[in-house]
Amino acid sequence: MRRTLMCFFPFAFALGVLVFFLPRPARAFGDVGAFDPRALLAGGTTGPARATAAGRWSWELVQRTSAPARLKPSQVRADDAGVVDGPFLWWSGDASVATLSPQEIAGLRRFFALGGVLLVDDAGASDDAGDGRSGASAFGKSAREQIARVLPDTSPIALGPDHVLFKSFYLLKRAEGRVAGPRTLDAIVRGGQTQVVFSSHDLGGALARGATGAWENPVVPGGDLQRERAIRLAVNIAMYVLCSNYKDDQVHAPFLMRRRAGALVP
Amino acid sequence: MDAPAGQLSLSTRLAVNGDLPPWAAVIACVLVLVSLGVLVVHELRRRERGGVAIVASGVLALLALLLAVVRPVRIAARESVIGAKVVVLTDTSRSMALPEEPSGKTTRHDVGARALAELAKQSKDARLLALGFGEGAPTPVASKDGEATAPSAPRSDLTSALRALAASAEERPQAVVVVSDGRLDDPAEGASPENLAALGKELKVPIHAIATTRQGPPDASVRRVSAAGAAVAHVPLPLSVEVGCSGGLSCDELTVTARELREDGPPALLATGLSHLKDGKGTVDLSVTLERAGARIIEIAITPPSGDTVPENDRRLLTFVVARERVRVLHVAGRPTNDVRALRQWLKSDASVDVVAFFILRTQSDNPNARQEDLSLIPFPVDELFTEHLPSFDAVVLQDFDAQPYGLEKHLPQLSRYVRSGGGLIMVGGQNSFVAGGYAGTPLAEVLPVSLDDSPGATAADVAPITPAWTEDGRTAPLLAPLREVASEELPQMPGANILGDVRAGGLVLWSHPTRTTRTGAPMPILAIGDQGDGRSIALGIDGAWQLEFSQLGARTSGRGYGAMWDGLLGWLMRDPRFEPGQLDLTSPCVAGEPARLRVRAPDGGRDASGGSAREMVVELRRLDARSGEPDAAPLKVEVPRHAPGATGTVEVTLPPLPAGGYTARLKLGPGPTTRRDFACEAGGDEWADSRPDPDRLRALAAATGGSFRWANDDLALPFPKPAVVSAERHVVPLAPPWSWTLAAAVLLGVHWFTRRRSGLS
Repeated sequence: MRRTLMCFFPFAFALGVLVFFLPRPARAFGDVGAFDPRALLAGGTTGPARATAAGRWSWELVQRTSAPARLKPSQVRADDAGVVDGPFLWWSGDASVATLSPQEIAGLRRFFALGGVLLVDDAGASDDAGDGRSGASAFGKSAREQIARVLPDTSPIALGPDHVLFKSFYLLKRAEGRVAGPRTLDAIVRGGQTQVVFSSHDLGGALARGATGAWENPVVPGGDLQRERAIRLAVNIAMYVLCSNYKDDQVHAPFLMRRRAGALVP
Repeated sequence: MDAPAGQLSLSTRLAVNGDLPPWAAVIACVLVLVSLGVLVVHELRRRERGGVAIVASGVLALLALLLAVVRPVRIAARESVIGAKVVVLTDTSRSMALPEEPSGKTTRHDVGARALAELAKQSKDARLLALGFGEGAPTPVASKDGEATAPSAPRSDLTSALRALAASAEERPQAVVVVSDGRLDDPAEGASPENLAALGKELKVPIHAIATTRQGPPDASVRRVSAAGAAVAHVPLPLSVEVGCSGGLSCDELTVTARELREDGPPALLATGLSHLKDGKGTVDLSVTLERAGARIIEIAITPPSGDTVPENDRRLLTFVVARERVRVLHVAGRPTNDVRALRQWLKSDASVDVVAFFILRTQSDNPNARQEDLSLIPFPVDELFTEHLPSFDAVVLQDFDAQPYGLEKHLPQLSRYVRSGGGLIMVGGQNSFVAGGYAGTPLAEVLPVSLDDSPGATAADVAPITPAWTEDGRTAPLLAPLREVASEELPQMPGANILGDVRAGGLVLWSHPTRTTRTGAPMPILAIGDQGDGRSIALGIDGAWQLEFSQLGARTSGRGYGAMWDGLLGWLMRDPRFEPGQLDLTSPCVAGEPARLRVRAPDGGRDASGGSAREMVVELRRLDARSGEPDAAPLKVEVPRHAPGATGTVEVTLPPLPAGGYTARLKLGPGPTTRRDFACEAGGDEWADSRPDPDRLRALAAATGGSFRWANDDLALPFPKPAVVSAERHVVPLAPPWSWTLAAAVLLGVHWFTRRRSGLS
C-alpha cells in the first residue's frame, strides 16, 4: 500500500504543479452582469406566484448554456430606485393586481426608457379546454391593463415562431408553460425591441421545483415533454434578454432555415 | 521685364483756339471754302475787268475772316513715345523642367528663358511684362534677387492666367505672348477653335505663342489614373490607368501594378494588369479594395522598357482619402452577459456600424438536453473569420472571450498582424479575458496597450468591487469627453477588474484601479489605449460598463453614458477627427526635393493634462516605401514650436526636402498615442506624367486668337501694336491778340467791298 502511494506521489505532485501554473480563473468576476430573473413587486403583489421558479430558471440556464445566471435571484419593487439596476424583470401572479401607483408607473417607465425587458407571466392561466386557447386569469387581464397605463402609446402584438424569442437558443415552434395555452406570446415592441412579453402559459409554474427536488406543479396536457419545452422557452427568453436579437443576424439565417426545415420536434 | 518708356522730346505745332469747339472750326472752314468756290465760279463766268482783283481781295478777306474765327495758337509740348504693353506668359509648370531635346541637357525652361530674352531684344518698341503662369493668377517670373524662378507649379493653367489678366485693374495689355511646351492643363488637349478663340475674347487682344520644344524624350509613363467615384473602405474601387510610350520608344504592352504602401511592411499588391498599347497609348482597368479608412498611399507603377529616359514618371504615388460607408465590427463574446447585451444593443443601434457578432452560447460542459437539430446554435467559424474575412473588418471586439477552447490561439499571430496593419482591437474584460483568456505571452498581447503577466499562476482578476479612477490623461482625452459631458466623472461601481500590467510605450491610461498597482508601482490600468503600428487597440479591464446604462447613474443620465463611452472608444479606434488629440494636414501637395509645409492642430495648444506647461510636440516622419537598410528608413523628427499654437491651436512646420516616396507623419503629443497622416511626395507629379510637348495646341491657340506662332529658336519678331505718343508738358500761346484778327478781317472785307464797287458790282 505504501509503495503504491509512493508511486502515485510524483504524478500527484506533477498534477499539482500543473494546476498551480494554470492561470487562475477570475472567481465570480462578472456575476453582477449575469442573468437575474428579478421578480417585480407591483400592484400589491408581495412576491412571485411561483417562488422557486426564478432560481430554477437560473439553474437551468447555467446547466444548459454558457450564460451566467444568479442562482439566488432578487426581487425589486416597481417604485424602488433599484428597479433600473438590471435589464430584466419578471412579473408573476395569479390574482388580480391593484392599480399601479404613480411612483410605480414612473419606476417602470424609467426601466423601459433604458431598454429593459419585462416578462408578465400569468401563473393563474388555465387550459381547461386543452385546445390551446388563451385562458388568461385575472392577473393576466389586470396586468395588461396596468402595463397599458405605463406604456399608453403601445399595444401588444402576437409573436409567432418566426420571432427571435423562439430561436434564441432552442428552435421552438410554439409557446408552452404549465399549460399549453395559446401558441404565441404577446408582446409590446418599442423601437424595434421587444420590451414586454405577455405569457398566458404560467411559465413559472412549469419551472417551479421544491426543496425536495420534486416539480411543484403538474404540466398539462403534455406532461414532462411539455415541461421540457417550457424550460426551453424560459431559456430562450433569458437568452433574448442577454443577446437581444442576435439570432436574427443574417449570418445565422441559412443554418436556421435548414434546421427548421428538418426539425421534428415541435 | 518691363521695357522703359520712350525718351521725352520737345515739339511745336499750330492749332485753333482751345475755346472753339471742333465742330465750329469745321463749319467755319466749310463756309469759307464754299464762299471761295462761289466767288471764283462767279468771276470766271463774268470774265470782266477787275475780276482778278476781286478774287484776290475776296480770298484774303475770307482767310482773314476764318483766322478771326479760329484765332490760331502755337502749342509747344514735351512728348514721349510709349510702346504697347505686351504680357509674356511663361509656363512655370514642372513639365518645363523636362529636357528640351531627347538627348539634350537643356531644359524647356532654359529654352523659354532664352526666348524671352530674345523677344525683349527684338521688341524694343513694346513694353514687355514677363509673368509666369501655372496655377491661378500669373506672377512675376523673376524672384527678388533677379534670378529666374525654377519651374515648380503643379499645373499649367493658361485659362486662369488669361482670366486674371482680364480681371486685373491694371493697364490692359495690347498683346499676349505665351511661352510654353504646349502641355497645358487648361485649355485641354483637343480644345475646339471656338474655345481657344474665347480665351482671347475677354482681353480683346491677339495671343501669340512661342513653343519651346519640338520633340519629347524617349519615355514610358503612367499618364493618368482616374477613379470611378470616391474610395470607400472594403468596397472595390475601379481605376482606369492610362499609360503611354513616346519619343521614339517602342513598347507594345506594359505591365501595370497597383500597390498600397504600408507602414507595417512591404507594399501590398492590390491589383495588376497588362496594357496593350496602340499609337503609343493604352489603358488598363484595375479594381482595388482598400480595407483601411483614412489617407492611404497607392502606388501605380509600370515596368518600363529599356531606353526609358524619364524614370520618375514610371510610377505615380496617389493619396486616396478612403471614406467609411459603415464601420464593420466583428463582435466576439465568450458568453452572454449584461455587458455583452449592452454592447450589442449599442452597436446595433448605430446605423453607421455594420456588426458581425459571434457569441459562445454553449460550452462543451453545458448540457442543453436537446438534439443538435433542436438548437439554433451554429459552429463558431473561427478559421474562416480570422483568416479569410479578418481584413474586411475595421475593428474586432473580443469580449470576455477565452482564446483557448475555440481555436483562436492559432490565429492570434494573424490577429496581431491585422492590428499592426491598421485594424482596431478592443479587448473587454470578464472572467475569460486578458490573462484568464490565455492571451498573456501571445502575439496578441504584444498589440494590447497594456502588458499581461504571463508568469505561471498569474492572478487573472481582482474580484473586489471598485469604482475606476479617472487619470489626468483620461480627463483631457477627447475620446472620453462625450462621457464626461453626460456623467461628469461619476462612474458606477464595478464588480471587479481584470489584472492588467503596465501601459506599454505609446499607450495611455485613462482609468485606473483606485488601489491596486502594477509591478512598477503605478496604478493598475482599467482603461488604456495605444497605437500598434498602423492600428490601434483598447484594453477595458472590466465587464460592468453596462451599469452606465442600468443603474441609478444610468437612470439619471437616461442611459446615455454607455453610448457616449463607446462612441468615443470606437470613434478613436476609427481615427474619428473628433477624438484625435491633434490633426495633421499638408498645406499643399508635397513635391520631391522641395520643402513641404505641415499644418499641425492641437486644440489644447499642446498643453499637458493639468493645463499647465506646453507638452513636447514632435512630428515624426517615416518612409512607407523604404527598404530596410536604406538611410532614409529611420524616422525623421521635426519639433513643433511649443509657443507657436495660437488661439486655434494651429501651427505650421516646414518639413525638409524629401525624396519621392510615400510617408507617414505622426504627431506625438506627449507619451500617448499619436495622430497620423499619410502623404506622398512625387517628382513631377501630373506635370511629368506625359512628357510629350504639344506645339500644335499653341499653334491652334495663336490661330484662333489672331496671333502668331513661333518656335523658340526661330526669329521672334512678332507683330505688336505701334507705340502711343503721350504729352508730358504743354504751352499754348496765341499767335496774335483776338482784336487784331478781327481788325484784319474788317479791313480786308472793306478792301474787297471797295474792289467790287470799282468793278461795278454791289
